[in-house]
Amino acid sequence: MSSEVDELRAWITSRARDLPPGGLTDDLPLLAGRHLTSLQIPELILLLERLRRSPIDVERLGAGDFQDVATIAARFLGADTDAAR
Amino acid sequence: MTTRHPGTPLRDAVAAFSGTLGRLTDQSREKYQNPYTALTWPDSVNPEADWFFSPELTSLHGTGHEAALDDRQRHRLAFHEAANFFSLNIHGEKSLMEGLASRLYRSDLMEISDYLHHFLDEENKHSVYFGGFCRRYARLYRSRHVSVADGGGDRAVADFLFFAKALLFEEHADRYNIVQGRDERLHGLARFINQAHHADESRHLAFNRAIVKALWQAHSPAWDAGQRADIAARIGQFFAMTWREYYNPDVYADCGFADPWQVAEDAWGHPAQRARRRDFSAKCLRFFQSNDMLEELPADVF
Repeated sequence: MSSEVDELRAWITSRARDLPPGGLTDDLPLLAGRHLTSLQIPELILLLERLRRSPIDVERLGAGDFQDVATIAARFLGADTDAAR
Repeated sequence: MTTRHPGTPLRDAVAAFSGTLGRLTDQSREKYQNPYTALTWPDSVNPEADWFFSPELTSLHGTGHEAALDDRQRHRLAFHEAANFFSLNIHGEKSLMEGLASRLYRSDLMEISDYLHHFLDEENKHSVYFGGFCRRYARLYRSRHVSVADGGGDRAVADFLFFAKALLFEEHADRYNIVQGRDERLHGLARFINQAHHADESRHLAFNRAIVKALWQAHSPAWDAGQRADIAARIGQFFAMTWREYYNPDVYADCGFADPWQVAEDAWGHPAQRARRRDFSAKCLRFFQSNDMLEELPADVF
């Protein structure tokens, strides 16, 4: 599952604005920190569906499901990151 | 320290296009349509014999995935693409109607309220057509939008972005409507829906351009470099978000592709599809760039 999380991190890094000098971390607040916007979530969901090879029920989702890399990885990819442990 | 300048008051900027507003309102009243009587729905359709979407406009056109399909499968793909096109319009119009309704009779937008009534009415009618098709013959494809309030609390920025998004969404859909409304190969039902949508959208496009310019003139002089960069970034994201919806893995799954998400990625990155996106977005890009609302093209899209 780590390669999927790496692909997730790479996707976010390529699209996030104003990342801190240390770069993306798994606990960086993505929406609250205005690094990503709601407009990018549909494309992020497409990526996550491709990585997990199954659809995501979007109607039940909210901002909290996309809080940071650790949350996204655990919620959609079933993967624990260091930040989630 | 950034120097900010007062813009044209919004009331004055709106007044500058009052003639256009009056003309559009008159036209909407003259062309008022009842969506429940304007169209007779056939009992059934044949997705593998008739075209419901111009084959050259499908999201797989020009790709190896399309080349591998036989004639019956190409018709089937076009049928699902039509349902996806109508579905994405339903989702877009739902969001548009919410935004229009929330701006009705707002004190600083009073002058556009008469026209907003028609805008809302016409969007609702379009959704009757789109929903009628999807629910009778196909299915309503889901949206991948998640309701998240992240625009900040600045009402002027929210207004500008709302109408900029409406402009972009409607201009792209209209390109599909124009081409397909004229495509004599299409089933009469698909041609009618595209033609009816275009007939109203031509007025919406004129309004969108006028209100986006008015809001820009009124507010942008007071926005600092950071706010302008944020707005430009969001316009770029509108392009990506809008276009991505045309490459729906659910459509490819319905066509029997084993890995529909990979098909979507392949199609998104294919040069033939990039070329079509550039072509269909050119007019819209020119509008945003010529008015200094967008500096850089969203690279991944084009």
